[in-house]
Formats: sequence, C-alpha cells, structure tokens
Amino acid sequence: MTKQRILGMVWVLAAAALLVLASCTQLSGQGKKGGTFVLGLVAEPTSLDPAQLTDINSMRILSSVYDTLVRFDEGGFELKPALATKWTVSSDGLTYTFELRKNVKFHDGTPFNAAAVKFNFDRMLDPKHEFASTGPFPFAGFYYGSVKETKVTDDSTVQIILKTPYSPLLNSLTLNQGRIVSPDAVKKYGKDYGQHPVGTGPFKLVEWQHGVRVVVERNNDYWDGAPLLDKIVFRPIPDEQTRFTELKSGNADAIVDVPPDNVAQVKSDNRYQYIEQPGPHIWWATFNLDKKPFSDLKVRQAVMYATNRDAISRDILKGTGTTANGPIPPSIKWAYTDDVTKYPYDPNKAKQLLADAGYPNGFSAVFWVPESGSGMQSPKSMATAIQGDLAKVGIKLDIKTFEWGAYLTKYNAGFGTEADMGAMSFMLDPGDPAPYLGLVADSAAAAPNGFNAGGYKSAKVDQLLRQAVATTDQAQRGKIYQQVEQEMAKDLPWLFVDNQIQNAAITTKVHNLKLHPSFYIFFDKIWID
Amino acid sequence: MSRYILQRLFGLIGVLFGVSIVLFLALHLAPGDPAQLLLGPLVRPDDLARLRQELGLDRPLPVQYVTWLGQVLQGDLGRSIASHRPVLVEIVERFQATALLAGASLLISAVVGITVGVLAAINRGGWIDRASMVLALVSMSTPSFWLGMVFIIVFSLVLGVLPGSGMISPRGDGGVLDVLAHLVLPALTLAAVPTAVISRLTRSSMLEVIGLDYVRTARGKGLSERRLVVRHVVPNALIGVATLVGIEAGYLLAGAVLVETVFAWPGLGSLLVTSILKRDFPIVQGGVMLIAVSYVLINLVTDLAYAYLDPRIRYD
Repeated sequence: MTKQRILGMVWVLAAAALLVLASCTQLSGQGKKGGTFVLGLVAEPTSLDPAQLTDINSMRILSSVYDTLVRFDEGGFELKPALATKWTVSSDGLTYTFELRKNVKFHDGTPFNAAAVKFNFDRMLDPKHEFASTGPFPFAGFYYGSVKETKVTDDSTVQIILKTPYSPLLNSLTLNQGRIVSPDAVKKYGKDYGQHPVGTGPFKLVEWQHGVRVVVERNNDYWDGAPLLDKIVFRPIPDEQTRFTELKSGNADAIVDVPPDNVAQVKSDNRYQYIEQPGPHIWWATFNLDKKPFSDLKVRQAVMYATNRDAISRDILKGTGTTANGPIPPSIKWAYTDDVTKYPYDPNKAKQLLADAGYPNGFSAVFWVPESGSGMQSPKSMATAIQGDLAKVGIKLDIKTFEWGAYLTKYNAGFGTEADMGAMSFMLDPGDPAPYLGLVADSAAAAPNGFNAGGYKSAKVDQLLRQAVATTDQAQRGKIYQQVEQEMAKDLPWLFVDNQIQNAAITTKVHNLKLHPSFYIFFDKIWID
Repeated sequence: MSRYILQRLFGLIGVLFGVSIVLFLALHLAPGDPAQLLLGPLVRPDDLARLRQELGLDRPLPVQYVTWLGQVLQGDLGRSIASHRPVLVEIVERFQATALLAGASLLISAVVGITVGVLAAINRGGWIDRASMVLALVSMSTPSFWLGMVFIIVFSLVLGVLPGSGMISPRGDGGVLDVLAHLVLPALTLAAVPTAVISRLTRSSMLEVIGLDYVRTARGKGLSERRLVVRHVVPNALIGVATLVGIEAGYLLAGAVLVETVFAWPGLGSLLVTSILKRDFPIVQGGVMLIAVSYVLINLVTDLAYAYLDPRIRYD
C-alpha cells in the first residue's frame, strides 16, 4: 500500500467520522428523549381545574396538561392554531367559528370534539348547567362575559356567539379559563375534578402529593408530537432563599422568580443559565385626583420628574424591572408605543413645577402600600425609594402599609380623603390591555364601581377604550391603545414605575426552557442531558 | 380515674366552642375578603359580588357561624375556598406531616434534654455543666429560621450529606428512609429550643431534689451514687419536667410554622399561614380546631402521666 493510499484512506475515514459526528450533533439539536425535569415553584397550585384558577403560579404549570383552542406563538402574542386549526370572525364581530383538530383524544381516551368545547364553556358560563356546581369559576364572567352561547355545528366545528362585539375574545381564549377539560372526567369526579385533571396536553398527571410535588408524565399520543421529557416534577418551595439553595444542591433543575438579591450570583455562576423575559406587567402608584394636591396636573408632573425610576429598577429591583412610561407594558408590542411624553429624573424641574402650582415648600401626602402581593415585587423598598426622592423636592410622604388582603379591600373601596397615593400592579396575561384598562382607567369604573381608585376621568380615554373593544382588527386596535397610552402619559393619573422582567435560573443540562411574555411556560419542547 | 377523664373530655367541648367563636370573630372582623383575594386586584364589582354570594360570604356573620357550626356537628368541616378540597382531608394530610416533625423533635428534645440536664446536675460546676448550660443559652436565643438556614447551608449545600428541603426527594419514591433523611434537619432545628428548656429545667429540679433531706439520708445509709440518682433523684425530679414536655409538645405542634416554611415541609403550620393570607376561612377554622383538640388531649395525657410518675397524685 503506498503512502498516498494510506493517507487517502485516513482522509476518507476522517470524513466519515465527521459525518457521523455531524449527524450526532444534529440529533442533539432536536433534543434527547427521556429524563425527569424538576421545577421549583413559589407555591403549589391551588387546583388543577383551569376554569377555577385565579393565581398566576397555578396557571403557569397547566399548559403541561391542557391545550387551548388557540395559543400564542413561542415568543410573542401572535395567535397560532392549537386545538382549533382554523377560525373565522363574522363581519359584525358576533360569531366566532372554530374548525377543530380531528382525532385528538383526552388523556382518559375520550374524544375531543365540538361537544366537549360546548361543555367547557357552558359549565363556566351557564349557572343552570348540570356541572356548574363544580365551580365557582371566578374569572369566567370577566373574560367571557360577552358570550351568548356556544353552538355545535358539526362534530368538529363549533361557534361562539357573542351578545356584543368583544375583540379581546381570541386572546382571552389563550388563558387558563380557555383550557379544554375532559367532560367525562368532570362528570366522573364532580367537585373533586381539580384533583384529577384530564386534558389533551403534552403531559398527564400521575401524582399530586399536596405540599410536596405534582408529577406529570409524557403523553405519547400528543397531537403536536410527543414531548421529550419522561416526567416533570413541580415542587412548591415558598421560601425564596430555600428555593435558591435547592437549585444549588441539585434538588431542582430550574427555579422561577430568582430573588433580585441572588440575580448577580446566578449570572456569574457558569453552572446556571439565567433567562429573562419581559412580562405583561406594570407597577404604578395611583394619584387621588379627587382632592388637592394631586388634582393639579403640575403636581403630578413634579412627582414624575422627582422620582428616580431608573434607580428603582437598577438598584432595588437589580434589573428585574425596566422603567415604565405608560399604562401598557412594552411586551404587548401590538398595542405599545414609546412615543409618549416622558419624565426623566429632574428634581430641579420638579421643584419649579411645585412652585408654579403654589407649593414652593412642598406638602405632606399619605401613600398606601401593601406589604407584599402578587406582582407587587418589593413594594416597601420601592415605596421608601419614592419617599426619599420626593423628600428632596419637599414632598413628605407618609407611607402606610397593609397586609395584602386588607390592602385589596381598602384600595378597592377607593381613596376618599384618606390617601393621596396608592401602589398597585397588574399582569396582563391575555396579552391584551382591554380587560384591565376598562377597569382602572374608564371613568365608569371610578371607585366604588370599579378599580379606578384615584377617580381618573377622561372623556377621550373613555371613548377610545370603548372603541377599541368594539374593533376587531388588531392593527387598528393597537393604534387606539397607543393613543390611550399617549393620553394617559399626558394626564398622569398614575406615577408609572416599572414593568417587571420575569426570570428563571436553570442548570446547564436543561435545554429549551423558555419564559413566555404571557407569564405561562411551554413545556413540550424542553429536554435534558 | 375514668370519671376524671370523662370530665376532662367534656370540658374539651367547652374549650372548642370558645375557640371556635373567638377564631370566627377574629377571622371575619379582620380586614380582607377571601373573594377579593381569590380574584386579585382587578375585578368587576358584579363578579366580586357573585363570588361572595357563591361562597356564602354575603350572609350576616351569625348566620355564617351557625351554618358552619351545624355542618361541623355533622362532621363536615366544609371545603377550602382556594382549592375546593374537603377541609378534613386537607388538614389531616398536613397534620400527619406536622405530627411526624413535632414527634421527632419532641423525642430528640426529651431524650437529649433530660440526659444533658441530669449529667449537668450530678456534675454541678464541672465542665459538662458549664458547657451544656452555655449551649442551652445559645440555642434558646437562636431564631429557628436562622438555625434552619445554617443547617441547610452546612449539611445540604457544603457537605451535601442531608437533604435541605421538602419531605421526599423530587425524583425519589418517597420511601421510609427517604422521609427520615428529610426529617433530620427540620427536626433538629425545631428541637433546639425545647431541648435547651428541658435540659435547664431538668438540671434545676435535679439540684433541688439532690438538696432534699431524704437524699442525704439515703446517701448516709450507704446507697451507691448511681443507684441514688437513678432510683431516688431522677424519678422525683422528672415530675416537673413531665409537665414541661407536655407543654412543649403543644408548642411544637403549633410552633412548627417557621421551620416548616424554611424547609418546605408540607405541614399544617405552613398550610395555616398561607390560608390566613388567603383568608381561606374554612381551612383556618378546621386547622386551628384540630390544633386545639390535640393541645387539650396532650395536656390530659400529661396530667395522667403525673399520677403514674408520682403515686401521691390521684384523680378520684
């Protein structure tokens, strides 16, 4: 054998080896099958009946067991087919027709069809329905109150008919209340259905040890391709420091809501991936517009200029928030605009405005703040920072704190003459500002008729909000909400503070875990080394 | 004796009745509305009103109380507002975990506390005495949540020998050994304070008894020191300690809250805390009643233990 020949053979072998290697990499690009993934959550789900849920923590895990008719794409708020393959909206905006995916089965083997969809909506919305007693369904009216009836056209076509046009309907169908449960399972378990969830999702429930863990396993018949993981274990770990140590000790493969103080540590440790995703969240302080001094626009402008909001996001929230400039979070791209009046930190300008308004020496004001609360981030430290900033321009804030439950009752009753400012936050998980703005910014919702606690009244905003709900075209609606944002940034009914960035710390062996802007998590594409 | 027990059990009814009224008032008169908390910040007033009606919260307080009491008398503690599960199922499940934790802690604190107390007393002024009393002072002054965190860091994170959270390993099958391994750190944490208290009391009551005339007489009679301590001093000194152990048992059942939270132990304490925050009235009422019952029963057992330990005490 000549030297050249040998060399040639070596080349051929090397090329073959490379090819094999390349195909291997490709394989791992699609992910490895098998393994158990352990996710540390802040609490255990209250129930696994999606129609009953009201808290984000419980809602986050349900996409493992259930599907919705339509769902968002992986990175944003664009609607994609799920259990419905196609849908059309009638020109009057009253009839939504869905073509359903065929040959889909619930985990209990019963077929998913138009009758199942009808059962789901009727159970939630018709108080006389045979299984309405499996409720209560607290959010059904809020999101689907405009539904008149659900009609089965044929086995795989269903129509949702509205009383009045309600364009946020499709987005609202992506919510947990829109997750389709097995009618047979509801009939079988009745009031205990929440402990025995049966959906069509990528995983099925195998075990729920209360306070300990929820275990789901792969649904091999999943219509969108069987997931890669064998099992997911959801663990409730309420104490945030314990949650963090459980990640470090390997008893959790990932944790959500890394405390701001641990973010730097996770980022600098190469055993973990730190991921972030702006959520549809907003934290603000409502001004009491019904009484002096905040009835004066100049005073509100002064507070905006005097508050160093960038410093709050940077130093207190350690980058788990970004400065908010209006009532709509930037993650809802289709309805958001950056083109609003801005109020950069400028204490001198604030002092000037206060003097112009007749308060050259400032004033005292009462600021209500909850001690904690869903979406409230670090309310006391944030309020104290605002207090410190305002003191520099002569405004003395008297912070009154309340336990969350007591706070909600008080805030909901309105400020009256008791308070001048009150902190609040919200997560717009449908990816649509409609349901929330109608409750906090519409004059019809001024306390005690709604959650507009500061008594904001703007004829223009009212008109825009109502017009947006009646418009079906999303691009057009987006333009209307952008105007709402501009109006509110001018009127300043609130001190806009920050938009939270959700985060998670994940060990490097976990792949494809992504946080969705809606706050939900998709589990079917995750795999583990 | 049996008449005494019956009387005490009869008294239990009165205690429970009192507890239920105070609890009911405290829960309902405190600000905060379960319906509002379920629905979160943004809710339409009519949705809120409907949910309040569905939960029966719109009725006058006395009506709500009587309805609840009527159900309880029929053995129905209702359903949780948050999870809709039957209250009895939920609290019994959690109570088992708490009882396991509290029982283990009580065992540790009684065995270690009494042993250390006895050793300290018979070596009064020696190094065992001084070291154990300093240690007792330190563990009494250490907040349990801090001690728990230190244990987690040392034994779970740095040494990696014991699990630091939960009751079973996330990937495990939850067998007996698995649970025991998870029990060690929380049980030691929870036992720290009662161990110290018991050891100090054992020591002082031992010293008191050692100073009594009959002990001197016994010693004068030529009894060996060992026999004297085991047969004559310890049994008498333990009468007071028995009361304390009883009190500590109640304290452990009710006071495991912080430790349960730090270790994510699925006990009744952590369930009650989250339920209070959610104003999940049925769970709080059921859970506190269960704790009250066990507290009263433990006290009864303690009182009966007196009669056994001290023949002078009779319940006739």
